[in-house]
Order: sequence, then structure tokens, then C-alpha cells
Amino acid sequence: MGDGEFQLPGTRAGARMGRRLSRRELLSRGARLSAGAGAAWLLAACSNGNSSGSNSGSAAPSGSGSSAANLSGTAVLTTYPGWMGKNEISSFEDANPGASVKMTGSSSGATGSEVLFFKQNAGQYDFSLEDQSGVGQLIAGGILQEPDWSKIPNISNVDDPFRKAYSHGTPTDYGKVGIGFRSDIVKEGITSWADVWNLAPKYSGQIIFLNLDRDCMGSALKYLGLSGNTKDPAQIERCKQALIDIKPHLQAVTGTGVSRGLVKGTAAIAMDWDYDIALAKEQEPRIEWVLPEEGVVAYLEGYVLIKGGQHLDVATAFMDWNVKPDQYADFVNTTGTAYVSSKATPLIEKSISKNPILFPSPEVLAKVEYENYLGEATALWNKAWDEFKSA
Amino acid sequence: MLFFLAPLVLVGIHSFGQISLITFDMHFGWTLQNYRDIADPIYFKTLTRSLILSATTTGLCLLLGYPLAYFLSRLSVKWQRVGLLAIIVPFWASFVVRTYSLVNLLENGGPVDDIARKLQLVSGHIDFLYTSGSIAAGMVYSYLPLMILPIYVALERIDDNLLDAASDLGASGSSLFRRVILPLGTPGVVAGAVIVGISATGEYVIPEILGGGKTLMLGNVVADQFLNVGNYPFGSAIAMSLLALLILLLVVGRGLGAKGWEATPA
Repeated sequence: MGDGEFQLPGTRAGARMGRRLSRRELLSRGARLSAGAGAAWLLAACSNGNSSGSNSGSAAPSGSGSSAANLSGTAVLTTYPGWMGKNEISSFEDANPGASVKMTGSSSGATGSEVLFFKQNAGQYDFSLEDQSGVGQLIAGGILQEPDWSKIPNISNVDDPFRKAYSHGTPTDYGKVGIGFRSDIVKEGITSWADVWNLAPKYSGQIIFLNLDRDCMGSALKYLGLSGNTKDPAQIERCKQALIDIKPHLQAVTGTGVSRGLVKGTAAIAMDWDYDIALAKEQEPRIEWVLPEEGVVAYLEGYVLIKGGQHLDVATAFMDWNVKPDQYADFVNTTGTAYVSSKATPLIEKSISKNPILFPSPEVLAKVEYENYLGEATALWNKAWDEFKSA
Repeated sequence: MLFFLAPLVLVGIHSFGQISLITFDMHFGWTLQNYRDIADPIYFKTLTRSLILSATTTGLCLLLGYPLAYFLSRLSVKWQRVGLLAIIVPFWASFVVRTYSLVNLLENGGPVDDIARKLQLVSGHIDFLYTSGSIAAGMVYSYLPLMILPIYVALERIDDNLLDAASDLGASGSSLFRRVILPLGTPGVVAGAVIVGISATGEYVIPEILGGGKTLMLGNVVADQFLNVGNYPFGSAIAMSLLALLILLLVVGRGLGAKGWEATPA
């Protein structure tokens, strides 16, 4: 009943959609995205049940990203709804008459099902917003198209650490998973993941965790002093047990409106993304952000090309366009995300560029571990996550 | 018929296949492994939880829906239309929006909490949202019309002359209800229970929103396998198993119902 309208929890899309959007816009966009994704899956399932070898691959992207004369057609991008600079696409189309970019919601976002989605819809999508884990998944699935870097000269505007960490496409943004808490409720203060687990009985029913396995289990692994990318079954088991131990004290495990409880005062502590807490703090100054002592996991996202896309040249040109400082500043100012190109800083609103939640010191940044592709260990993570949810 | 059967056949075929969760290449080796995997205690526990919540929802819908449907069927045609509109119109709004609106109603500090505290029914907050109770409340709210409408149709068709005849023969009050109205309305009750029960068993949106993501139901597992993990064969096997179980319950229920019908004194 109404399933097609539902934005699947467990993705960052729900929270992203709320970024600088009214609640009405959020719900409307969510409904459109998920309805579209549901319909697309159904059509794909009906048209191509056997995905084996469905993607024959394609040649490297042709055309010039910097030459408007050679570009024509519409490149289709899968990304979060609204996750784009306000004028970015229109200015790209003005600069490249005949070329355009169409944004569409992906199957679910950086997950295994996305590989199937692209395989079953071969040739219909040109590029996609993916985190590093998603990139690894696309590579393993044989559907990632390496870009022709000579067509992306503006990649030099991206800061080296991000460029090196995200080597198969153009990075766009990153986000850390830390702790938000209400300083007027949690008088003891919080500095670590251990504090969250230790204080859980006292604040039972007032704690919210993220409903995304990589972020939630990754944070639990940090609490245990382990890598957020572990493939060790014993460590995954310990992580699952730590989550099951704290579960009776959790108010909710959610992927949408995570900080809402902190703003309203119905929650005291939340595992949350940095940008969500930054937004919440604007509404409720008593919310504090903590980058825990044990370290945090983080996602690093960007655009990558999808093998077999019909307009990879247009997609490549747009990837280059996105990392031009003025266009990238539009992207950051619209989305309010932590950014990856310091060359764009002069053009970025100070409320973002000077925000300590989004931009911690280099010492603190050293504690950040990006979420990588887990390969065969993905199945172990899935199982552990199901066991935690079912407990 | 094709549109009903084709997706089902596709799901059935997928349930015997296998997929590599690395390359996501699908192989149709006609294996039963996906069905064996369902025997894992996690999924058994999840299935049990789904069936209990579904039975609770169906029971509560019946408890609330039957009197409402009966009351509606006894009104004049004009007021019946008004009543039906009042039941149906709220359901023209988006299902997700309606479910999210319950979050605002049921959360601590919300209207329900305020009323409970003012009436001194609770000492602190109600702490009702994100519990199994809030899931059941959301499911009853969502599925109640599906129970009311078939019962209303069955009861509305009862000829008034039959009721008069029964009264003339000495049946009144509870006897009239038990021996005339209840048996004649049974097809509506069965239809309502089947529609609500089946829909509630596969529900995954309401548990996710009103259960705060803490209560895993089988519908959530299926959705996760299809939309997140990408393991279509395993998701299909769970869906087919659930379908088989529901058919079995329907057949058994129908058999018991038929026996009960035969045993009803004339």
C-alpha cells in the first residue's frame, strides 16, 4: 500500500533532501524520487530479468569537455534530488548549446542494488554520484567507466588528498559521522563513542542512531577501536554485539530527520552526519557537535561515469564544469556540504567555509577514516546488520 | 491476468537463481539454497513478529471496523454517502505523508502526549512512538477502511424484511445479531480480514517510520534485499515463502470457516 511513494531509509538521500529545503519540498521530492525508482526497477525487472553479461561496456568517452561545439545530447545523472548548484546545470547548458544534464533519482544510492539497476538499464545513465564504497561496487560489477582525464583539466582545482582518495572520478563532497548532543540535557558532556555507550542507560530512549549499515556499524567499530572498513568476521561480530547491547536504549534507528529530535528536545544524543548537525545548530544553539576521540568514519562522494552511457562526453564535460571554482561554489552554497576544493573558498559563503563542524582542524581530520568498498565482506556486514535490526 | 501473473512468475523464477554479490551477475541454476537460507533464526523471528503484528492489526481493525460498518449500513442513503466519504477522503492524501503525520501526533510533546499528561494518565511522557504499539496503531489507522468497506457492503445488502421476519419469529437483540446479522455479514468479515491481513504481513513502510527502524518485519527484509543489498534471488525466495504461507493460512482458515458455518445452529 503506497510502497512506491516511500523513500527507503538507510540511504543518505532523506537527510540530503532536507538540506535547505522546506519540509513540503522534502516530502514531495522524496515521493517523486522513490516512485520513479520503483517504476524503473519494475520496468527493468520485466524487460531484463537476467543481468548476466548485460553490459557490454563501451569505448572511453569521446568529445571534448571544453569544446562546446562538439557536445550535444542529454547526459543522465543519478544523484540525490536537489543535490546540485542552483544555477549549475543552466549555466552549463548556456555555455554548451545542444548539451544538457538531466538529474534523476538512483535506485537507492551507493548500494549493491545500484549495480543491478545500472546493468538492467544499460545505456540509460551516463554518470552517477557515488561514495567510495559505491565506486568499488561499480568497479567490481564491471560498469565503471574510467574518465579521459585530459578532458577534465579542472580536476587540478580539487585538493590533493581528496583527489588521491577518489581516483576514479571527480570528488564533490564528504561528510563525517559523529555525535550531536543537547548540552542542556547531557550535563556530563560527550567526547567519545565510549561516552555514548556508557551514558546510554542514563539517557535510555533519548538516543538516535543512523539507519545506514556503513555509518552505524562503522561508528560502533570506532567505539571498539577498530577499523571502520574491517573485513574480519570476529571484529564484525563484536561490532554487532556492541550495537545489540545499546539497542534497548535507542529511541530510533533512522536515516531521515535524525537531528529533529535534538532540535525539539525529545532526543539527547544522536549519531549523525556533520552537515545535519550544522543545520540543526542553526535552529537550536544548545546542540553540540563532537568528533569522537576514537575517530570517525566518513563518506567521500563524487561523480563517476557509467560504462555504456550514450552521452559520456557531455557527462565528462559536466564533471569538469562542476569542479570549476565558480560552479563548485554554487554547488556548495546550495547544498551546504563540506567541500573538497579550497580554491573555491573565496566564493563560498562564510557560514559554510568558517563552520568548525564542517571544517575541523587537520589534527582532527587525521582521525577520519573513509568508508571503502568491502568486497566479499559485504555479505558479513549485511548479515550482522540484519541481526542487529532483528534483535 | 497477465499483469498479475507475470511479475509473480518473474519473482518465482528469481527465487531459484543465484547472484554474485561482487559482480552482480545472475545465474539460474535452479537452486533451493535461497529457501534454505530463510531457515536462519533471524528470519524466522522476523516472520513470527510480522505474523503477530498482522494478526493484531487485523483483530483491532475488525473490532473497530465492524461496529462502524454496521452503524454506517443502518443510516439513510444520504448519510451513508457522507460517512463513506469521511472514511475514504483522508486516504486520497499520500500514504507516506499520512504516516509521517502520525509521528507528529504520537511523539513525546505531541498532541496525544499532551492530552495523556493533562489527564494524568502518565507521570512522564507516553513514550509510545517507535514501539510495537505505535506500529500497530499506524497499521490500524492505515488499513481500517479496508476492513470497514467490505463489511459495510455485506451488511448493507441484508434485506430489512429478513430482520423483520426474524423479529416476528422471536429473535431480538443479541439473538438477532448472532443468528442473522453476523452470519450474513461473515463474507464481508472474511474479505476484510484477508485484505488487511495480507497487506499488513508484507508491510514495511509503517514499521520503518513509526517503529523507528528498530522493529524488523519480513517486508523490511524483502525491501532491503531488493533495494539495498541487491540480492534479488533471496528477496524473491522470502516473498514466495510468505506468499505460500499466506495461501496456506487462507486455505486452512477457509476450511475451518466452512466447518464453523456447518456447525452454526439454524
